Amino acid sequence: MAESPMDADEIADNDPPPSGSAVLRDRFLIDGSKPLPTFDSPNARAFAVEDRRDLSRDLFALITTPGVPIRTTEIRRLKSSPGNGIIDVVEWGTVFWPTLERRTTAIIFERPLGGPALQQIRKGNPRLTEYDIPRKIIQPLIDGIRHAHSAGIIHRNIRPDNLFFLDEECQDIVLGECVSAPAGFDQPTIFEPIERAVANPAGRGEGTMVDDMFALGATLVVIITGRNPTDRIKGEDLLYQRLNIGSYATICGNAKIPMSLLEPLRGLLADSPEDRWTIDQVEMWLSGLKQTPMQKKSASKGDTPFRFGGRDHVNARTLAHAFNRQIPDAVQTLKDENFHAWLKRSLRAEELSETLKGFIDNAVFHKDDYQGTDDHLIARACSVMDPYGPIRYKGMSICMDGFGPMLASEMIRNGNVQDLAEMINRDVWQFWTGNRASFMDTIDIARSFTQLKSWIGINDPGYGLERCLYEQNPGITCQSEYVIEESVIDIEGLLPALDQAANNADGRSKPADRHIIAFIAARFNEDIDPHLRALASPKEGTSVIGMLSILAFLQWKLRADPVYGLASWVGGVLGPAINGYHSRSTRADIEREIPRLVRKGSLPELFDLIDNAEKRQEDQEGYSDALDEYIACAMEVEEIEGTGSELAEKAEKTGQKTAAMISIMTTMIAVSIVFISEIL
Amino acid sequence: MQFKLIFWGLTIFALLLIVALPTVLFLGFAMLPALVAGIIDRTDEKSATFCVGGLNFCGVFPYLLDLWFGDHSLSQAITYLTDVFTLAVMYGAAGVGWMLYLSLPPVIASFIQVMSERRLEQLRKTQKTIIQEWGEEIITDADLGGGAMPPMGPVEVEDDVPNARAEAPA
Repeated sequence: MAESPMDADEIADNDPPPSGSAVLRDRFLIDGSKPLPTFDSPNARAFAVEDRRDLSRDLFALITTPGVPIRTTEIRRLKSSPGNGIIDVVEWGTVFWPTLERRTTAIIFERPLGGPALQQIRKGNPRLTEYDIPRKIIQPLIDGIRHAHSAGIIHRNIRPDNLFFLDEECQDIVLGECVSAPAGFDQPTIFEPIERAVANPAGRGEGTMVDDMFALGATLVVIITGRNPTDRIKGEDLLYQRLNIGSYATICGNAKIPMSLLEPLRGLLADSPEDRWTIDQVEMWLSGLKQTPMQKKSASKGDTPFRFGGRDHVNARTLAHAFNRQIPDAVQTLKDENFHAWLKRSLRAEELSETLKGFIDNAVFHKDDYQGTDDHLIARACSVMDPYGPIRYKGMSICMDGFGPMLASEMIRNGNVQDLAEMINRDVWQFWTGNRASFMDTIDIARSFTQLKSWIGINDPGYGLERCLYEQNPGITCQSEYVIEESVIDIEGLLPALDQAANNADGRSKPADRHIIAFIAARFNEDIDPHLRALASPKEGTSVIGMLSILAFLQWKLRADPVYGLASWVGGVLGPAINGYHSRSTRADIEREIPRLVRKGSLPELFDLIDNAEKRQEDQEGYSDALDEYIACAMEVEEIEGTGSELAEKAEKTGQKTAAMISIMTTMIAVSIVFISEIL
Repeated sequence: MQFKLIFWGLTIFALLLIVALPTVLFLGFAMLPALVAGIIDRTDEKSATFCVGGLNFCGVFPYLLDLWFGDHSLSQAITYLTDVFTLAVMYGAAGVGWMLYLSLPPVIASFIQVMSERRLEQLRKTQKTIIQEWGEEIITDADLGGGAMPPMGPVEVEDDVPNARAEAPA
């Protein structure tokens, strides 16, 4: 199979890879027979790697799960700035993985020789005391987080089973990978700050440094105690407990935490992002500077519980979470005076109650449009009941910066894409009233969603939800059915993938569907609007030329290799474009020329043949002249033929006139002769 | 207007009667066929009038010259009008005019018919060539309706694009 050992990026310079393996960039042999489960990520399997140029290197590769967007921006940044405290990315790219029987992304890392940190610590290697933790654990992890942040990366994958010892002596701990899935996607809820933990895993968002700090705090608790103190709390109960009594109390409540570590843990596990410790605060603590002791803050609670959805709720945040799951019941509750009485008396939230009543009135006023729907009402209500939480709509919970991965997740699993489109179209995102401390963030988000709305409002190829998908997810592969198995992440990989796909393509279908065009529009940094306009034309010929022009522009601009299969595929669907010429002889000339250019694999030349401006003008002028000539002929035909007996009448009249003319002429001649002869 | 015309006509006729009574009398009788043709010819073109009148005048003119250059008298005019041979020449010429008028149109019509058919054939051939080169859409674009489409055999329009894939390198 060409795709495994013979692809351009995989041609082995010496031996072919053994079956079940792959070679990346002619150099890194990923050995499928040597899995390394201790380095597995939830969405990626680890295998041993051999560097053919340096056999002494210890490497491993993560083979990602096809369809799960990876964090390509972060991969590039980590690769370009290796540093201490975080596992190094050595190389990455797509390979054909025999087990999956398709291409997927492989990411090569330096292999931490000490293995998973938590396992080693549990084994007592190294033996840690409470006094070792700041120096041997916290400091290197803080270094790793700082390094990541300096490279513009929010890790969002810090958890105990993603820490490793670089050395066999288990002295040098580092953060594991954070690139094989969207930010926060793989994290158990205990390691996510509460406002992101309540969101759908795919919609937790990129986050900020404070989110990594929370994950560090929760990770430290597990390392210190040797176990997850919340592992007995199942499912949603953990979220409710954290919302009710606070994350610190939930996670550290019954755990035996050394007194010396209570202060940083309280700071790191603070539910309010403003109160949570930053890197600098942790480093100050590490250097022995005492922080102002943080008062233990418990979540605000009502005096009496409110029963909804089979649970007793003592604050509005848990209710918002529950409302989003049971919308019809939530609407009934929202209109129930007992609920408002509870808000006012128990929570002392009169303002919230009045706001919610205002929303109900607004929904009644707009009962004939979407603003009057239950879904819209509950989305608005949830946003004010849990202002720091994610946007909730129709059962989905999405952080503002997690919209892209959520969209990817839903589109890939053919999920609730329509609801996400509604969130954009109906400006549901504007309900977000959360942390707007950073004014620029607000503007960026508004700009981002306005742009999404403008794309989604256009149904032409290159726009729509597909465009939103690729713009919002730089790490997602092209989802076109033609190239999905080729795992195309970069624009450079698209034409070779389409060339490959041409072998199995139906010759009548166009080699550019909505996904491919949207992928090009999102990934290709050139102005392709004129091409998109042509592609969207209702005229089939113009549309085909638009498709060819985009692909040709791509090949020309990227200086891509000849694409014989793709050129052949394109050549087979050019009929409507050729028929754009009026002249049959021009059409025949073009048809004769196509096979030659197909053999060259050159799309730009094919495009020049089909859409030559000079040829087009000649054709147009020729057609115009022919049309004039045809009309002149037709009019003359009409004049000659007339209608019915007109021709006979006309001929008779002409005969009569001719007779009269002959008579007059004869007379004039005769009279002249007679007169002259008489005179002479 | 018509009254004025009649008035001046009668005045001129009266003056002619006074000045050239023999000529008026001679022409009045000699040109009777032309007068009859003028009365019975109801067409706008007056082709019959011109045809008969022209040749009628052709037969009259030699005698009119004799009258003018010879004895311009009433008796001479009557002599001509009562001479059978003279009358035969004048009215015979008018008859030839009638014959010409009656026999020439069918000949001319046949000739025109033949010429028209040849021209039609030529025009349709041109149209067919145009359609073969530029396609049937030219008929639509000409916006002349179905009547303008020449009756002819099917036009060979090469709409199908050859399958370039078949010729692609393996």
